[in-house]
Amino acid sequence: MLRVGPGLAADFIFCPVVRSFSLQYLCLETMDSCDTPESTPRQRASSRLKDYFIGATPLQKRLESVRRQTSFVPTPSRRKIPQCSQLQEDVDPQKVAFLLHKQWTLYSLTPLYKFSYTNLKEYSKLLGAFIAAEKQKGLAVEVGEDFNIKVIFSALLGMKGTQRDPEAFLVQILSKSQLPSENREGKVLWTGWFCCIFGDSLLETVSEDFTCLPLFLANGAETNTAMIGTWFQKTFDCYFSPLAINAYNLSWMAAMWTACKMDHYMATTEFLWSVPCSPQRLDISYAIHPEDAKALWDSVHKTPGEVTQEEVDLFMDCLYSHFHRHFKIHLSATRLVRVSTSVASAHTDGKIKILCHKYLIGVLAYLTELAIFQIE
Amino acid sequence: MDETVAEFFKRTILKIPMAEMMTILKAWDFLSENQLQTVNFRQRKESLVQDLVLLCEKKRASLNDAAILDIVYTQFHRHQKVWDVFRMSREPGEDIDLFDMEQFKRSFKKILQRALKNVTISFRDAEENAVWIRIAWGSQYRKPNQYRPVYVVYYSQTPYAFTSSSQLRSNIPLLGQTFETHNSTTPLHERSLGLDINMDSRIIHENRIEKERVQRVTQETFGYYPQPRLEFAQYKLETKFKSDLNGGILAEREEPLRCLIKFSSPHLLEALKALAPAGIADAPLSPLLTCIPNKGMNYFKIRDK
Repeated sequence: MLRVGPGLAADFIFCPVVRSFSLQYLCLETMDSCDTPESTPRQRASSRLKDYFIGATPLQKRLESVRRQTSFVPTPSRRKIPQCSQLQEDVDPQKVAFLLHKQWTLYSLTPLYKFSYTNLKEYSKLLGAFIAAEKQKGLAVEVGEDFNIKVIFSALLGMKGTQRDPEAFLVQILSKSQLPSENREGKVLWTGWFCCIFGDSLLETVSEDFTCLPLFLANGAETNTAMIGTWFQKTFDCYFSPLAINAYNLSWMAAMWTACKMDHYMATTEFLWSVPCSPQRLDISYAIHPEDAKALWDSVHKTPGEVTQEEVDLFMDCLYSHFHRHFKIHLSATRLVRVSTSVASAHTDGKIKILCHKYLIGVLAYLTELAIFQIE
Repeated sequence: MDETVAEFFKRTILKIPMAEMMTILKAWDFLSENQLQTVNFRQRKESLVQDLVLLCEKKRASLNDAAILDIVYTQFHRHQKVWDVFRMSREPGEDIDLFDMEQFKRSFKKILQRALKNVTISFRDAEENAVWIRIAWGSQYRKPNQYRPVYVVYYSQTPYAFTSSSQLRSNIPLLGQTFETHNSTTPLHERSLGLDINMDSRIIHENRIEKERVQRVTQETFGYYPQPRLEFAQYKLETKFKSDLNGGILAEREEPLRCLIKFSSPHLLEALKALAPAGIADAPLSPLLTCIPNKGMNYFKIRDK
């Protein structure tokens, strides 16, 4: 078994055969620190690849990885169940509490060119000026007359998977009231944050001028998101793209989050399907008591510490067959649109709500993977 | 000129793209070169159309002239239509009749006009012994609708005829008859080729019998009339997990699975009715769903017996 980054419990295991070249390269690097004595055919293949590609430029490596992508299902066939990460314990729960219980709209973001963490104050001023200028043009959303806004860029410490992940950062737009008072900080109008959790496969392929933070999450008015997106695109030559989550990944998320160990459940486990080719829209919501969902999962689950494709399929199949037994409807023929558990809930339109602080990193890691896949 | 005819002229000319205007009008050959030269073709289309309609009025253009213009337009835009192909079959041993175009047109018109009260039929000869026939249908009490005509293109030296797709499929047999009577041949074989390549007649409906059964069962369950309007149904399930396929899963568990199922739709019963025909549900649908109108309930608690 090849691990990404030795020693950290929240690693994700990728099956080398189905992943792109850049990850195989990475797996090889960390091989030495693993305890596996046998050299499997896969490892030998990776070694040949490494010899072949030494000296290739990052662009050549990326092109090669795209060329080699032979699998139609490029996502891994197995993943590690999110555990509490060592790194995560460094994160102050208070500081990240505001990230929970909020609906975030997801985007993938290409690497930022010449972004510097030392310039955060500068960026705050520049973005603030840009927004003010846009408001003059009448493009910004105005709540009332005479109201000022303030932009704050700040680093989100500890929000990463490995040490190699770049530091996450946060952008907030606050309303600043004109009245001089002690509490000059007004309410938060818009929040966006950029992060990279276990983004090694992307980090490998870019040069030092680029900062990789492929996952962007936004909360607030869509017009503000668009405006801020424009500023980032102009300033750092990057590109935002809405991140949709397909039914396949939603099923994985449902299984993984059901597999997470919870002391107590805050929310029911719920799935939402939308029926296509119907003269009228038909939505089917299927909620199952979280303890029962866990019992079902435990009965399906065979490999300790991991979730495999077979287990995800079997878990979903059990839900489908229980439903079919009662209603004679094949849910597998409909479109899975939303999954919701006590850990987090996700909607196919690329919306996420994280409910559990303990598994925040685990959830973000999966989303980072989806974002990187969309960029590549 | 009759108002409807003037309107028909206006709409037909308006259809023609500016780039093709001169070409099509010349092909129509109703307005002379001199007359066309008196019109300013550089003005706005609406004004140009007005001028042209006035010219037609002056020349006492008839409905048939307008129909011919429509045919010319369609000939230039034939690729925008989907055509069905018909082939006339001949019994072996029958003689090949000598074909007379004029006689054909006369008898074609006669047959249709005898069968239908209100119909406009126009002909225009085309290349390679082809004739374009334009038919506008009306009804017993209504004048022909000039805006939804059917076109038939018949290549007289071949057994093939093309018709533009029509909503009025019922009229195809009648058209067939006109050919039949004229040619005194055995009935037409329909080979729907069309320009749409999916219309290959070798493609058949799979599972036709099953599809019909599903339709029948759905009809029996839901009836013929519109369903009562309902937006919501909720089922609280407390039943054990049982599955033949996934044997062993939760086999030892005594407790049932606690589930809450909600169906929602702007018109729930119509949506449920459509599920089996769409292949998303089995037919017959579960009694849990079909009992809703009978029981007059839409909140249910289901337990194992």
